Amino acid sequence: MRAFFRRVAAMAIKETTHISRDKQVIYMALGMPVVLLLLFGYAISFDLDLLPMGLLDRDNTPESRSLIQAMTASDAFEITKHLDDPNQLHEYFKNGELKTGLIIEPGYSKSLKRNETATAQLVLDGTDGTTAGIALGYAAGVAQAQNLRNMEKLGLMAELPIQARVRALYNPSMDSSKFIVPGLIAMILAIMATLLTAITVAREWELGSMEQLFSTPVGRLEILLGKLIPYIVIGIVQVLLVITIGSILFDIPVKGPLYLLFGTSFLFLACTMGQGLFISVLTKAQMVSTQAAMISTLVPTILLSGFMFPIENMPWPLQALSYIVPARYFIDSLRGILLKGNGFSVLWPDILALGIISLVILAASTARFKRRLD
Amino acid sequence: MLHALLAVMVKELRQAFRDKRTVFMMLGAPVIQLVILGYAVNLDVDQIPTVVVDQDKSVQSRSLSQGLLAGSTFKLMTQTQDVAWAMKMLDDGLAAVAVIFPPGIGRDMANGRPVQVQVILDGTDPTRAKIAANSATQYFNNEAMGLALSRLQLEQSRRGINIHFAQIRLEPRTYYNPTLSSSIYMVPGVLGMLLVVVTSIVTAMGIARERESGTMEQILVTPIRPSILLAGKTLPFALLGLLTVAAVLLFGSILFQVPMRGSLLVIFSASLLYLMTTLGAGVLVAAITSSQQQAVLGTMFFVTPAILLSGFMTPIENMPHWIRPLTLLNPMRYFIEIMRANQLKGAGFSELYVQFLALFGFGVLFLFISASLFKKQLS
Repeated sequence: MRAFFRRVAAMAIKETTHISRDKQVIYMALGMPVVLLLLFGYAISFDLDLLPMGLLDRDNTPESRSLIQAMTASDAFEITKHLDDPNQLHEYFKNGELKTGLIIEPGYSKSLKRNETATAQLVLDGTDGTTAGIALGYAAGVAQAQNLRNMEKLGLMAELPIQARVRALYNPSMDSSKFIVPGLIAMILAIMATLLTAITVAREWELGSMEQLFSTPVGRLEILLGKLIPYIVIGIVQVLLVITIGSILFDIPVKGPLYLLFGTSFLFLACTMGQGLFISVLTKAQMVSTQAAMISTLVPTILLSGFMFPIENMPWPLQALSYIVPARYFIDSLRGILLKGNGFSVLWPDILALGIISLVILAASTARFKRRLD
Repeated sequence: MLHALLAVMVKELRQAFRDKRTVFMMLGAPVIQLVILGYAVNLDVDQIPTVVVDQDKSVQSRSLSQGLLAGSTFKLMTQTQDVAWAMKMLDDGLAAVAVIFPPGIGRDMANGRPVQVQVILDGTDPTRAKIAANSATQYFNNEAMGLALSRLQLEQSRRGINIHFAQIRLEPRTYYNPTLSSSIYMVPGVLGMLLVVVTSIVTAMGIARERESGTMEQILVTPIRPSILLAGKTLPFALLGLLTVAAVLLFGSILFQVPMRGSLLVIFSASLLYLMTTLGAGVLVAAITSSQQQAVLGTMFFVTPAILLSGFMTPIENMPHWIRPLTLLNPMRYFIEIMRANQLKGAGFSELYVQFLALFGFGVLFLFISASLFKKQLS
């Protein structure tokens, strides 16, 4: 047993020397998380912010202007073009200058004064369905609020007979960044861990140094564990880095216990690095293993983990596939730990799943890793 | 000269296709990614898991909760009378919305007194929380207005007068994508990402491998000039890139019914211009790195911000003002804009000339910088 640990340590030292010789890789391993965090934290937002709107007000009365003012009162829409003809919208939608249009036909105010329903047209560029849907919901809310105000003004209603008091837990201001950062931690770890480990074993095969390793008494498991340890240390440093910067810049709280945070991060690293090892054991070439790592990690981690896109909305084959994506469990437990303050009693299924996946993948790579040369 | 170029291209293709797995990675992977992206990227929020806490159990509270759940936005998980239980469900992630009808609201509503309904949201997913908030608020406001109007009418008929109330109605009209599907929007954008993966990374690694294994020196002693070498190394991947474009167009229209309202000429000329940039970026990374590991990390360093700042996943209009100018420096942004506008809206060169000019400018710039760096490194 002592010999085992000694040999694992020797492999780990060898691998650390490799890494530390290549300063650029270390800079990238520590620089990339910071860059990604800044970009993701600020760039990803599903909140409408000054969506460019074209306006055609053919009514041009205080009533129509009051509707326009209500639409642009908050920062959801911004009138950037005044149109002469509704057909101009097609042109502006095509070159991307406008995303919405508000058309008020003559007679809008007359209908209102005659106590009839007055119609305004909201034209949407539907290509981006999500944004169009949010814009539509928002505009409908504005129109409703106008109606309520009109009722109050007419003295028809002293107070709303039913009031909905809406309150958001865990993230009261509903910031996108609080949602994105936990997923980002998983993404950064997954990319770095899988890519780096996928390359490290493949490189030994490519350069022929694997033969030299085989001529030493180091066993298969020892080679693999020794290769993993330095990268796990890098991964834990990345977690610390991202959480520190996240809490400073984006006010990401850490409500749950720290031991769970590091415990789940460690298990997740074991899964993704195991995946990288498995790939490089199978492919033995850096180029192939990189591509395989990108496909098997990056895409599932971004798309099938609930990072940004809700798993419940996916067709069932993809939902089923998401159960073997480690990031799914890691992101869920990170959100629980950081934002909700969940403990072990809530998160144990995630932790169990991560543990099982990491054991299976490590066992599979050791089994496929043969001490012989083809 | 042509002979030398062909020789390098043949060598490059042979090397790439010698490993069957590489071939699969380069041709199969884009299709897999396209399929997953097209199906997985669905930001439509509906069926939000909801727990209803009905402490009143009156006709009114039951009809309100049924009305709220009638649409597809909310999906009832359980109904309870225990607020603490509902909060526990939010904690455990079993529900994302709790709607609380406090005791006595049925009686108050019947007596014409105003009542309050509480809607408590799990804010961890802000998009879902906002949609839930909007939807619930609009539903209860509508109910409130309906109630107020019917009380008014009752009052009026009692007094024998008749007042109408004017309502503003917003009539939505959606162009190009009336069902607001997300996949037909995502698929044209996917190409911008896939082309980088199949061209930039492969080129960068190919050159880095040549240097790592020392074969670059062997090529240098042959009479092949650096510019020919560079062209021979990149052209095969440009062809591969165009194949990817064709495959994505084909699969996109078969699997996701992405319309083709524009012209193929626009698509392929934009793709060629964009490939100049992605291949140039690959050579650039290879020129400043010295191993395959570095080359991979280096391309990731360029690619991830490029994807984020391209408007591929979230609209550029939603980004903070200080970030938006950065997107102007991103060739992927222009390519994705062209692809979407052409395929979905039928926009052509006359509407998209700004984007084309930008792509052309970046293509020339990237090729020029990378070629001069590559030559400098060889000599």
